[in-house]
Amino acid sequence: MPVNGQRALHGAHLVMGLVIWSLWFVALYGSLSVVCSLAPPAIEAGPLNWLNAGLLVITLLTTGLLGVAAWRCWQLSPDKQANNFPLGRFMGRLAAAIYLLSAVSTLAVGLPVLVLPPCI
Amino acid sequence: MSNPGATEPRELHRRLQAIWANLPGFGTLSAVNHTSIGRRFMVTGAFFFLVGGLLAMLIRTQLALPEQDIVGAHLYNQLFTMHGTVMMFLFAIPILEGFAIYMVPKLIGARDLVFPRISSLGYYCYLFGGMIILFSLFFGVAPDSGWFMYTPLSGSEFSPGPGSDVWLLGVTFVEISALAAGVELTVSILRSRSQGMTLRHMPILCWYLLAMSLMIVFGFPPLILASILLEIERATGLIFFEVAGGGDPILWQHLFWLFGHPEVYIIFLPAAGIVSTVLPVFAQRPIVGYRWLVLAIILTGFISFGLWVHHMFTVGIPHLAQAFFSVASMLVAIPTGIQIFAWLATLWTGRVIFSLPMLWIFGFLVIFVAGGLTGVMLALAPFNWQVHDTHFVVAHMHYVLVGGMFFPLIAGLYYWLPQLTGRMPSDLLGKTGFWLTFLGFNGTFLVMHLTGLLGMPRRVYTYASGTGWEWTNLVSSLGGFVMAAGVAMIILDVALHFRYGQRAPRNPWNADTLEWATAMPPAPYNFASLAPLPTRHPLWDNPELGESMAQGQHGLTSTGHGRRETYGSDAVTGRILHIIHLPTNSWWPLAAALSLAVVFMGLLLRIYPLALVGVGVTAVFVLRWSWENGVHPNAAPLNVSEPEDYPLHSRTQDGPGLWGMVVALMANGTLYLSLLFGWFYLWTVAPLWTLPPENPLSLAPLLLSGVLLTLAVIGYQQLVTGLRRRRGRPLKRQLWWVTGLGLGHFLLLLWVLVSAPLEGTVRAHDAVLTVMLYYLLIHSGTGVVLTALQGLRVGYGYVSHNLPYETIVLRPFWLYTLGIYWLGLAAFVLLPMAWGGG
Amino acid sequence: MVPSIATVLAGISLLILSGCSGPYSTLDPASQSAREVAIIWWWMFAVSVQVLLGVVALWLYAMFRPQRHFSQPRAQRIQNQWVIWGGLVLPTVAIIPLLVFGLPVGHRMLPLPLEEGEPVTIQVTGHQWWWQVRYPQQGIELQDEMHLPAGVPVDIELTSADVIHSFWVPRLGRKLDAIPAYHHVLRLQADEPGVYYGQCAEFCGFGHAHMLITVHVHSLEDYNAWLEEVGDE
Repeated sequence: MPVNGQRALHGAHLVMGLVIWSLWFVALYGSLSVVCSLAPPAIEAGPLNWLNAGLLVITLLTTGLLGVAAWRCWQLSPDKQANNFPLGRFMGRLAAAIYLLSAVSTLAVGLPVLVLPPCI
Repeated sequence: MSNPGATEPRELHRRLQAIWANLPGFGTLSAVNHTSIGRRFMVTGAFFFLVGGLLAMLIRTQLALPEQDIVGAHLYNQLFTMHGTVMMFLFAIPILEGFAIYMVPKLIGARDLVFPRISSLGYYCYLFGGMIILFSLFFGVAPDSGWFMYTPLSGSEFSPGPGSDVWLLGVTFVEISALAAGVELTVSILRSRSQGMTLRHMPILCWYLLAMSLMIVFGFPPLILASILLEIERATGLIFFEVAGGGDPILWQHLFWLFGHPEVYIIFLPAAGIVSTVLPVFAQRPIVGYRWLVLAIILTGFISFGLWVHHMFTVGIPHLAQAFFSVASMLVAIPTGIQIFAWLATLWTGRVIFSLPMLWIFGFLVIFVAGGLTGVMLALAPFNWQVHDTHFVVAHMHYVLVGGMFFPLIAGLYYWLPQLTGRMPSDLLGKTGFWLTFLGFNGTFLVMHLTGLLGMPRRVYTYASGTGWEWTNLVSSLGGFVMAAGVAMIILDVALHFRYGQRAPRNPWNADTLEWATAMPPAPYNFASLAPLPTRHPLWDNPELGESMAQGQHGLTSTGHGRRETYGSDAVTGRILHIIHLPTNSWWPLAAALSLAVVFMGLLLRIYPLALVGVGVTAVFVLRWSWENGVHPNAAPLNVSEPEDYPLHSRTQDGPGLWGMVVALMANGTLYLSLLFGWFYLWTVAPLWTLPPENPLSLAPLLLSGVLLTLAVIGYQQLVTGLRRRRGRPLKRQLWWVTGLGLGHFLLLLWVLVSAPLEGTVRAHDAVLTVMLYYLLIHSGTGVVLTALQGLRVGYGYVSHNLPYETIVLRPFWLYTLGIYWLGLAAFVLLPMAWGGG
Repeated sequence: MVPSIATVLAGISLLILSGCSGPYSTLDPASQSAREVAIIWWWMFAVSVQVLLGVVALWLYAMFRPQRHFSQPRAQRIQNQWVIWGGLVLPTVAIIPLLVFGLPVGHRMLPLPLEEGEPVTIQVTGHQWWWQVRYPQQGIELQDEMHLPAGVPVDIELTSADVIHSFWVPRLGRKLDAIPAYHHVLRLQADEPGVYYGQCAEFCGFGHAHMLITVHVHSLEDYNAWLEEVGDE
């Protein structure tokens, strides 16, 4: 709805961050399970193996993606003083917070790959 | 044709009443109105709560002293299975659905939900399914493998009796009502808010209920699929969970908890919504941190889908995977913390009136925070490995569920009772009831943590002396009876208030939300006129609003057309787009539910021809029901005073039906993805998975069938494109072409299925493949029938280039059918071939 | 009177500890892993009680404190502070140490490769409703009874002959499910000789409550002697 040249963020942004989080979560758990049942890395190597490294990489990439999205939404959401478009501000700020917390969740859930061996 | 300005308020109410009232006498069974249906849901849910409570009392009696044999293991197993099943599926979820069905239109300034007949169908499915489950107890064939129904214990070998079938079929029957409510509430909240109610103006309770509804849409399908698969395994021997043929009992656990954990939040969120609604009213200020709360609701809704494995920490999953779920489980503490401290801040900055609902909310806080803290403990894998499946978990879970759901529910009961009945409850009885419940609850469950730490497993019907569990169990049992006395006090209070309660003044608590603008008790149409609501607190901004709405000073007051009408609006901005005309009282939902009951009874009693007949009759009823839409004489016939300001939704290209279709397909897609998950899971994990020596499906007809389907869908796309432009080739011929192509596709696929040497009773591979083929067939067949009906409706003049709505509604269904066909082909045929098997 | 306070404290803790002992008590650990879990429990318990009391006290104070008027911006600031400190910082601060200490504890309970030697291996199969215990090297088979050496890591290979069971001897450590066709390994190591008790923890049908096991832990010499004696038969 254009008001004063501003557009409300698309409603999908309110869930997109967590949808990405969900997909990443499925990929993380799914690839761990599949690799562990098909070609488990040696237990002796501990957390230093290609599987953990791969999981860490997708975790960091997803975190980065979500972080950038959070930043963009924050930038796009209208300023409080600059205009009278509270719906746009509401949607923008909310989406930014959701992207940010999705990023934090991604990083937090993924961090155990640094310390634990994968398949035991 | 009425002129709103000229209609006197009393006359307006009389006319609206004539349009909206339920039929008299037994005709009330045809009611579709959300106020009636919501009340029926809540009363039935309360009844099942008492049943579940009675079972709990029997459990506590048996466990009060060691080495008792009052009920014995056989009955005890039925009791705890039924207690869990009744409380979860027949009390907690339905009563909150009923609450949402009752409240949502009143909160958003609408007259009814957008699919009223679906409300009615949902209620009857709940009632009949609940009765099937309940009666099994009287016949001594109640399910007895736990409310979680783990295979192989619940399978045909170890539970040969009908108990498991009762659970699987009864619960699936009841879940139809949950899904119905989930779809309907989602679309209603998004598409029927009154003028100007943007997303940021929605009452906070609507956000909670929206999250609940969407969680039902995505959370229930995995369990429905699992139940269907297990019932097929029990009835026909097709292998899904039986290890010997390449199935896996752990697959059941995954599917069950994929539902089971979100389910906890499905019942917690609306209860937290009650807290967020009631608390600011008694703090006499708007809730602080509205945006924080919305954030917390959305976070909870998603993260709760990423926790299910924490119910399975002892099944031998790698520790790293458990760590992911540990962290995710602990992360839920953040949105919960946000809510608790937003409530605290509201109290802090408000002027608090301490009343009976606030007492229950205080009880909620104490119990729920304690339950949340033990939840964080249980999320830690090593601690979980010790106390999992002990009474510590029983205690934790009751703290979360009773604290997080029951206490807010009673707060809500006392808060909204005047709105429901127009009378005030007694303060004295209410307070006594609270303290008995609160102290009894803690007496039962606080000490139960210790019972668990002392090593007492769950689901044992008795225990030996000398285990150290004797005194804790006795305390728990005594506490349980005190709590029962508290519940009895509440029932007494509510029963007496009908007779002795004082007449409630209008808006007795000085609340801000619009449900208090209705009459008390409310009229079936809620509001005589629909006001613009560009605010979160309509009654605080304008205390006279209820009066002016009742006077008919706002929109949608014309009655001469005899239609039930409410506004349809934009999902984000709340701008009015059209007027939704709603169906009136209808017998079709009851007929469909009754014929479904025949289907379920046929399956339960293993009289399969009866079940098959039931399916046919249900299809006829449902299709006949769908016939009464659009400009059908029983719906909104043409040339009967069409409104001038906004079009009727069935004359447009976008309406609640389209959104309902898409949301229903989301649920359906979740079921399909669960099946795909099962396929890949068994393939990679099941210990004895085997592939057939060669691919059992003939590839050429399969591909040809896919080509026909693709052509049909392309044809349908073109047809819709033409309709959107309001021109194009003759509609009828195009529809019949699509029907023909679809039918060809269907028959080819059927031939592939029939001719394939599938041995589902030998190999899980073939069993899952069989289910997938049937799934595709059902969709193709449904698409063909619905398209043919559209062709017929063109002949009747119900569908045309000027009335393109229904045809547009059907389009997503065809696209979905196309998507699952090729995805299924890729996952079930092409991928295994590429892998080098089959 | 410092000594008397110490005596009182000792007496109270003795009382608590005696209330916590029992044949199946997780709070009366008899192995390193069970002890670590018990310690984690007491820490979590102490912190949780403080959080609970703190939140409830704040809540009561917020409800009954003298009423003041807040301007909207000030209310907004107060709200943000509460939500950020209570809703974001408090859970985060509580969770991080829990994971930092808890994850390694879980890790140490796993059947990790030993630095030297091989663990003793015992095969346990759950049946409705009894435990079948096998010593593959010695060809010994027992029912609802197990003998273990003290101070030595033991790997228990779990499976089931029918439905899912769960093997759990609380004082010795974690439980693990026995699932048909799966062979999961549970690592146990008892500190001291003694008799310990276990019970099936996963609901397994009619006889679930009576599916018990007795674990006799011997010194290594006695254990070897027992193997000799029984294995000879």
